[in-house]
Parts: sequence; C-alpha cells; structure tokens
Amino acid sequence: MKAISEAALAATLDRLILCLMLLALAGVLTAAMGFQYLDGEIPCPLCLLERVAMFACCFGLMRQLRDGGSQRGAGVAMISAVLLLVISVRQTLLDVVPRPGHAYIGAAVFGLHMAVWSVLIAIALLIGFAVRLAVLGGPNWPSPAQSSTLARLSTGLGVYVAILCAINFISVLVQCGFGQCHTTGYALLR
Amino acid sequence: MMLAVFAFLALAFLLDFLGRSGPALICLAASLVLTLWLFAWEIYSPEYGFRMPWLQVELEQRPLLAGGA
Repeated sequence: MKAISEAALAATLDRLILCLMLLALAGVLTAAMGFQYLDGEIPCPLCLLERVAMFACCFGLMRQLRDGGSQRGAGVAMISAVLLLVISVRQTLLDVVPRPGHAYIGAAVFGLHMAVWSVLIAIALLIGFAVRLAVLGGPNWPSPAQSSTLARLSTGLGVYVAILCAINFISVLVQCGFGQCHTTGYALLR
Repeated sequence: MMLAVFAFLALAFLLDFLGRSGPALICLAASLVLTLWLFAWEIYSPEYGFRMPWLQVELEQRPLLAGGA
C-alpha cells in the first residue's frame, strides 16, 4: 500500500514539474510575442530560431504529460533545450562585443536581452530535467488521470501553446514571406 | 526557409492533436533539422567562417614571485 502511494506521489510530482516547465515556456513565448506586437520589436532570425527550440521543447513536454508510460517526450524536450542553448550562446557571443551592425536587439528585461535570457532558460530546463530524473527517477505513470486538475491544466496549456505556434507561423509569413527574415519591417506589409 | 521551419512546427502540433504521433514526430524532426541548417547559414560569415574574431583574449602578464614555489 505504501509503495503504491509513493509511486502515486512521484507521478504527481513529476507531472507538476513538467507542468511548471510548460507554464514557464508559455509565459516566455507570450512575453516575446507581446514585445513584438505591442512594442513593435521585430524578431531577428536567431531570435525566431530560439522560439522554434522553445516550441519544440513545449511539444516534448506536452507529449510527456500525455504519455507518462514512456520517456520519449522528455527526450524530445531535452534535445530541444540543448538546441536552444547552442543557438542562444552563439547569439550572445555574436552580440557581446558591440560593433557596427551587431548589438543586442530589442528591450532588456532586468538588464538582460532575449538571447541571454534564452541561455538561462535552456540551462534551467536542463537542470529541471536532471533534477526530475535524479529525485523522481523518471517515474512511469500507469494511466493519465484525465479528471485531475494537473491533467486539465496541462491540456489547456498544450492548446494555448499550439495556438501560439499557429500565430507565430502566420507572423513569420508576414515578416519573412518566402525569403530571408529582416528586422527592418514586415515583408508582406511593405 | 524560416517559413518552412514554422510550417513543419505548426504541422507537428496539429498532427499531435489529431493523434498522429508518428507523423507529428517526423514533422518536428524536419523542423529541427531545418533549424540547424538555417542556424549554420545565419552564423556563417564569408569573411570569418564560423570563427568569432571579435572575441580576443590575451594572457595577462604577471610578475613572477621571487622564490615562489
């Protein structure tokens, strides 16, 4: 009986950690889109690629939340977090020395720009996955409890992130058209 | 190219919601491969290649301590 309750607790904690990661990423993506549409900050190509890595991480998290019997979703999310780290570190190194044509794009939040925040987010995600495996051991859930609050929250967050992805697709179409992306304006609105 | 990246990504989410996990994963993989290719293209410079010559480091000249271990 005690073993069953411990397994249930581990599964609930696991779901909670994954939900928090998804919530954090949804918040960051919403903030990035807020800066784009409300403040008129057009994202650079590397910023867009960072968004792609974040969306892919969300995809893995959503998959893991839906299918707790496999760790495939967590694997997808970890690969995406590494990709986010690689892109954001390179962009940070690109702009860390201000020179003509190269400087951080967009507003700084608490003194840090999007690229630097992305480095911190990627590291936080990887630490989160490591802690999840170290403490909980990657528990397998017997079957998803669809009626639980966490299950409803994860489903709602998944739908929200998918809508954000669709909006981003349309936004990229307007910004880049079928060619290169520029931060000078929206290609289809010229 | 960026449009193709986001198109595959959005398609992956759509297929995942429709319960087509296999094709969704393939679309996501296609999106990530295109992302890597576009990333390499974006950071490549005809002048510097993939190097970052604006990052310069030098060894600090420190006086040797007399009689140091």
